Amino acid sequence: MTTDNSGDVRLSGISKTYGSFTAVHPLDLTVPQGSFFALLGASGCGKTTTLRMIAGLEEPSSGTVHLGEQDVTHLPPYKRPVNTVFQSYALFPHLDIFENVAFGLRRRGVKSVKKQVEEMLELVQLGEQARKKPHQLSGGQQQRVAVARALINHPKVLLLDEPLGALDLKLRRQMQLELKRIQTEVGITFVHVTHDQEEAMTMADTVAVMNAGRVEQLGAPTDLYENPQTTFVANFLGTSNLIEAEVDSRSGEDVVLRAGGGKLTLPRARCSAQATTGGKVLVGVRPEKISLTHADDAGEIPDGRNRITGRIADSSFIGVSTQYVIDSPVCPEFEVYAQNIDRDPRLVPGTEVVLHWNPAHTFGLDAAQDIDAGVGTVGEEAA
Amino acid sequence: MSTITRAEAPELTPAPETKPPRRRGRWTPYWLLLPGILWLVVFFALPMLYQASTSVQTGSLEEGYKVTWHFATYWDALSQYWPQFVRSVLYAASATILCLLLGYPLAYLIAFRAGRWRNLIMILVIAPFFTSFLIRTLAWKTILADGGPVVGALNALHVLDLTNWLGWTAGDRVLATPLAVVCGLTYNFLPFMILPLYTSLERIDPRLHEAAGDLYAQPFTTFRKVTFPLSMPGVVSGTLLTFIPAAGDYVNADLLGSTDTRMVGNVIQTQFLRILDYPTAAALSFILMAAILLMVTLYIRKSGTEDLV
Amino acid sequence: MAFVNWLKRHLVVVAGLLTLGYLLLPNVVVTVFSFNKPKGRFNYEWQQFSTDAWKDPCGVADMCGSLSLSLQIAVWATLGATALGTMIAFALVRYRFRARGAVNSLIFLPMAMPEVVMAASLLTLFLNMGAQLGFWTILIAHIMFCLSFVVTAVKARVMSMDPRLEQAAQDLYAGPLQTFLRVTLPIAAPGIAAGALLAFALSFDDFIITNFNAGSTVTFPMFVWGSAQRGTPVQINVIGTTMFVVAVLLVLVSMALGNRRNRQKA
Repeated sequence: MTTDNSGDVRLSGISKTYGSFTAVHPLDLTVPQGSFFALLGASGCGKTTTLRMIAGLEEPSSGTVHLGEQDVTHLPPYKRPVNTVFQSYALFPHLDIFENVAFGLRRRGVKSVKKQVEEMLELVQLGEQARKKPHQLSGGQQQRVAVARALINHPKVLLLDEPLGALDLKLRRQMQLELKRIQTEVGITFVHVTHDQEEAMTMADTVAVMNAGRVEQLGAPTDLYENPQTTFVANFLGTSNLIEAEVDSRSGEDVVLRAGGGKLTLPRARCSAQATTGGKVLVGVRPEKISLTHADDAGEIPDGRNRITGRIADSSFIGVSTQYVIDSPVCPEFEVYAQNIDRDPRLVPGTEVVLHWNPAHTFGLDAAQDIDAGVGTVGEEAA
Repeated sequence: MSTITRAEAPELTPAPETKPPRRRGRWTPYWLLLPGILWLVVFFALPMLYQASTSVQTGSLEEGYKVTWHFATYWDALSQYWPQFVRSVLYAASATILCLLLGYPLAYLIAFRAGRWRNLIMILVIAPFFTSFLIRTLAWKTILADGGPVVGALNALHVLDLTNWLGWTAGDRVLATPLAVVCGLTYNFLPFMILPLYTSLERIDPRLHEAAGDLYAQPFTTFRKVTFPLSMPGVVSGTLLTFIPAAGDYVNADLLGSTDTRMVGNVIQTQFLRILDYPTAAALSFILMAAILLMVTLYIRKSGTEDLV
Repeated sequence: MAFVNWLKRHLVVVAGLLTLGYLLLPNVVVTVFSFNKPKGRFNYEWQQFSTDAWKDPCGVADMCGSLSLSLQIAVWATLGATALGTMIAFALVRYRFRARGAVNSLIFLPMAMPEVVMAASLLTLFLNMGAQLGFWTILIAHIMFCLSFVVTAVKARVMSMDPRLEQAAQDLYAGPLQTFLRVTLPIAAPGIAAGALLAFALSFDDFIITNFNAGSTVTFPMFVWGSAQRGTPVQINVIGTTMFVVAVLLVLVSMALGNRRNRQKA
């Protein structure tokens, strides 16, 4: 069997400007056939514009779009083998569900649509609703109609523009799994635009994090989370504690850093910045990787772990974990999430503590960046 | 109708991302506009210019007219017909106020209190439109007939004494008096008040009433502080839609009034169609237009609603 | 005291219904007097019950002719104004172009102008051009003043349309023409229908502008106007009553059909 790459999406140097505003900076991106690809970013980051350029709804200011071997840059949307699930669905209000789903087939001159439409409605479990109008369905059902309407055309690529944005949390979870199931079943390339990092990480094989019209980082969800390469990714995907540190020396595979009075170890492989002695880097660590020990028991901490001292400023119990905010000389608001196993009753606000973690969980970033990039943009409502 | 019927789609996407692609058809809008706009330019704007030029011409029907920049026509027309101008403004203003007073409760009723009768009442408000307004205006001749039940009742309640004293009626008659003309104007333009009022009332979230009540507002205070201010767009376009046609009307004054109730519309009509004194008629018509545009502009400025189309 | 309280609570309803009565009273009178048998030439005083006029609605010279002329003009004016107005509305909502402000003013002004001013100025144009007054001048005038109303009605509808619907159609293999015919037009249809209905009613009922620009041609409103001077035949009331009843019935039937269709599908 030869590898079929007709479902590859290849963007080369593609960009979009509106007057003096640049929505998307020149961008190269390849989405391999059959993958579930997510474009993740805050509102206005250019992810929807990128999607619309693939759909043909927006003409790129420069660059080309290829589907497989075919250059589709100048094809109008109705000639591209690509279909879109629109934000808020855009179901035709004057047509019933059956006709909405049959729309694409009829436009391409398919004569007998009945069997195909019925099968497709079965796939999304809406066989009973065929003769209803869109406004008579619930949000989740409308969403499934939108997916069916696009999928029935067997597109090379399915584009999803915030497809779950209008649903409530519980339904959203359910539909995430549902969409993932459908994608596995039909094996089509999915390109999914979302502002919800959890959604992107749950569903996609590959995530591209976009910010201000550029791709900040691209990779598998675990890779992005564990090894962010910019402060934006570190802060936008989950929470990160970032400490400004100075490179002290190198020892083997590790870099030794000075922060405040103490020393921290960082694996060289996990440092995306130039680590020249005397230079600065940002050291990051995720809050759930950190353990808390009462200052009186500091001697019990095993050797070889990175440590920082501080005082508990605040703690909140949220069931599965307890979240602490630690006031430390190297970082004023250090966050620590501790699993609720063997809670130490002495860890109340005001207590002096030692934070320690495995150096393998440390990552290093270029210190020239804004340390707060991507903070607070997470929950924003969406493009 | 220049009611403010804008239902904009909620803007979900930031501006740069919603712009529809317009790669083809840079000339399409001009082709779409061309026939209609041409029609309005030739048959609406151009006639205004012709009229302006006619108003400064002198001559006679037999010898033809020439533009002589004879602005005295304006002065003559004003000094001769100022009572008709004043009357037009007074009658139209009275009718507009009456329309607002009568129309508001009905619009409110349809918007908030009609329940399942809403559609039926709506139909009953609009349906009279489908009977020629001249026929309906003639019916007022019967309703207000001398010695009829309406006049009898007004007489018995001594309302006529009051209106006589105010100069709105004369003796035992209502017909052929200012009251009859204003009554006819009010009747004819009432739906133009009710519909925009209804449109803006209907958009008010009923929960606002509850919120106002919850915050210690008496029902009347709620109306004064919440409902009425929110219905202002409807009030503005309703008053304009009533006042403008009423000020230029001559049908009611002719059918229900007398020679003492002639409005400026009657004068223009007579000058144009019977006396054939075109310059005077054109000047009168121009003054009316200018006066109304001026009043409307001032009114819109003052009420702060510029969003009329 | 109980009554006073009741009245206080339902004051708006009572006042509203009184206004409704004021609006409908003339129609009641028109209907009742269509069964009158007047003594003189004028049908203003009740004499005795008779169905003569109903049996012979076209029994008055020239009346039915003027009626059919009015209907013809209304149909053509509606078609013309709806076509031109819909095009303008689409251009205004969907495209960017120069001179938008001027176009908006040109649409708005005819609605803010007393009819008598438009009527008089249009007549000066026709007189200057030496045009023959009659059917064509009436039609031109009617299309002119109906146009703005159609634009406003259609514009409101097109503005509330989600542009994504057309993009979705394009995405689903519909070319520009198919997109317009299958999606844009059906969704804009209620607005276009409302505009057309308004244009028909305005044109059919217009008197002032027609009176100036008709020459010796007589439309139905002009016939009624003339009869107010010469003598009002009962048949006028028959026509008025029929128009009212037909309008109400049409609306009721279309509403009932709409309701049934919705219920079946639900």
